[in-house]
Amino acid sequence: MSVLFLTMDKESLPEQLIVRLGQTVLTCPTTACFDGLPAALDRLAVGKALRVFADGFQGSKVIGGRRYWRVPVMEGEFLIEEAFGMQKGVGGGNFLILAEHADAALAAAEAAVLAMTNCPGVILPFPGGVVRSGSKVGSQRYKNMLATTNEAFSPTLRAVAPSALPEGVNSVLEIVLDGTDAPSIEAAMRVGIRAACLGGVRSISAGNYGGKLGPHHFPLRVIMGNAGKPA
Amino acid sequence: MVVLSLRTAPTRALELAGVTPDRLAQLAQREIAALPVRHGGRAAALGDFFAVKGERAARVRVDGDLRLAEGLGAGMTGGELVVEGHAGRDVGVAMTGGAIEVRGDAGDNAGGAHPGAARGMVGGEIVIRGNAGDDAGARMRRGLVVVTGDAGRGTGRGMIAGTAVVFGAIGPDAGRWTKRGSIVACGPVARPATFRYACTYRPPHVRVLLLYLRERRGLDVVERWITGRYDRYSGDLAELGKGEILQWAGE
Repeated sequence: MSVLFLTMDKESLPEQLIVRLGQTVLTCPTTACFDGLPAALDRLAVGKALRVFADGFQGSKVIGGRRYWRVPVMEGEFLIEEAFGMQKGVGGGNFLILAEHADAALAAAEAAVLAMTNCPGVILPFPGGVVRSGSKVGSQRYKNMLATTNEAFSPTLRAVAPSALPEGVNSVLEIVLDGTDAPSIEAAMRVGIRAACLGGVRSISAGNYGGKLGPHHFPLRVIMGNAGKPA
Repeated sequence: MVVLSLRTAPTRALELAGVTPDRLAQLAQREIAALPVRHGGRAAALGDFFAVKGERAARVRVDGDLRLAEGLGAGMTGGELVVEGHAGRDVGVAMTGGAIEVRGDAGDNAGGAHPGAARGMVGGEIVIRGNAGDDAGARMRRGLVVVTGDAGRGTGRGMIAGTAVVFGAIGPDAGRWTKRGSIVACGPVARPATFRYACTYRPPHVRVLLLYLRERRGLDVVERWITGRYDRYSGDLAELGKGEILQWAGE
C-alpha cells in the first residue's frame, strides 16, 4: 500500500509524518514502512526519529544503500526506512457531481472514487474520498474564516442566494484530489469523471474558486479532451 | 571495463592487495600492468601474470583460476570487481565500499580484517557464488557478505556490525565474540553456546535483504527463505550481545 502525505507548507510535514506514522503504522500489526520518493532531494529523518521508540533496543541495517531501522515490538519487529523523500505536490484538484437527489450523487461519487483508487500519484484526502461540504475561499460575513459553505452549489439556498445549480439538481458532492503533480491529477480526474456519469447525474462541474485557490487550474473540458465544445 | 586475464598461473601465493577498481579507474593500461604485486613474497608486476585490457574504469573483471591470489579487492573504496573463477584468501579485506562478486569459491577471511586490526570490512558488498573458507566477514563493522554455498569456521567471528548471509551450511564458531550484526543462516549452523534463543518470527529486514539479493544482485534466492520464519538467537552474550544469528526455521 502506498500513502501520500500532503501539508500546506514544507515545515509542518516532518512533524506530521512522525506523529502519524508513529500512531498508525508503527502500531499496526505486520506493517513496515518504506520511502516512496527515493529520488526526492529533500529528505525527512522520520525513521531516525521513530527509532527511539525502541528505547535503546533499536538496530539498523543498510540494504542496497538505504538505511532501515529495526524497532522491536510486542508483535515482532517494526521496520522503517531512515529517511523519507519530500517534494512539492499539487493539492485541491476537484470536480462536482450535480445530481437529481442525494442517493444518485453518492452512488456516482462512490463509483468515481472506486475508479480512481488505483491511479498512481494521487490521493483523495477526505473520508471515503467524497466531500459534501464543498467550500468557497473566505467568508462574506466572518472575517476570520478561511473557507465557508459554497452557497452557489447548495440546493437549499437556491431561492435566497445566487445559484449555480441547473434546474432539477437537488444534491451536489465533490471529489477532491491531491497528487504528486498536475498530470497525475488530470489523469485521475478523467477516470473519475467518466465513472461518475451514472443515472441521476445531471452534470459535472468544478469549484473554480475564481481561480484563487492556487497556481494550478484544471479546466474540465480541456482535461476531458473536448475543449471548446459544449459539455 | 578493465579485464585482467590470468596468463601465467602463479605457483605460490600471489598478493594482489591494492589492485582495486577505484585505483584502476585512475590508471592507463600500461600503469595498470606495472602495478606492484608480490609472488611468493617477491616483488613482481601485475602484468607478469595478467593480460590487461581496458583502462580508467571502476568496473573490473578478473579471469582465471585465482585460488593462489590473495587480497582481491582488499581495501577497495568503490567500484565493482568481478572474479570469474575461484579466489584465494582475504577477498575484500578491510574494504570500505563498492561490490565484489566471486563466481566460484573464496578462501579464508573474505571480508575480514588485516592481522591484528580491530575491524575488518567497513562498507560495501561481497557476494561469493560458491563456498567460502573460514572467517568470512570476521570483525566486519558494516557491509554485507553473501555466500551462496557453505561457509567455514568462524563466519562473522567478532563482528562489530553488518550482515553475513549464508545459503548453505555454516561451520563451528559462527558469530563468536560478535558485538552487533546479523548472521542469516538459510541452512544449518553450528551455533556457539553463548547465543541464546529469543523467538521464532519473520524478520522484515531479512525479507527486504533477500528480495534485494534476488532482484538487484540476481541471486537464486528460494522463495521459502524470503517468506519463512527464522529462529532468532541473540549473542554473543559473552560480548555486547546485540548481535543475532537468524536461522531459517521453515515456512
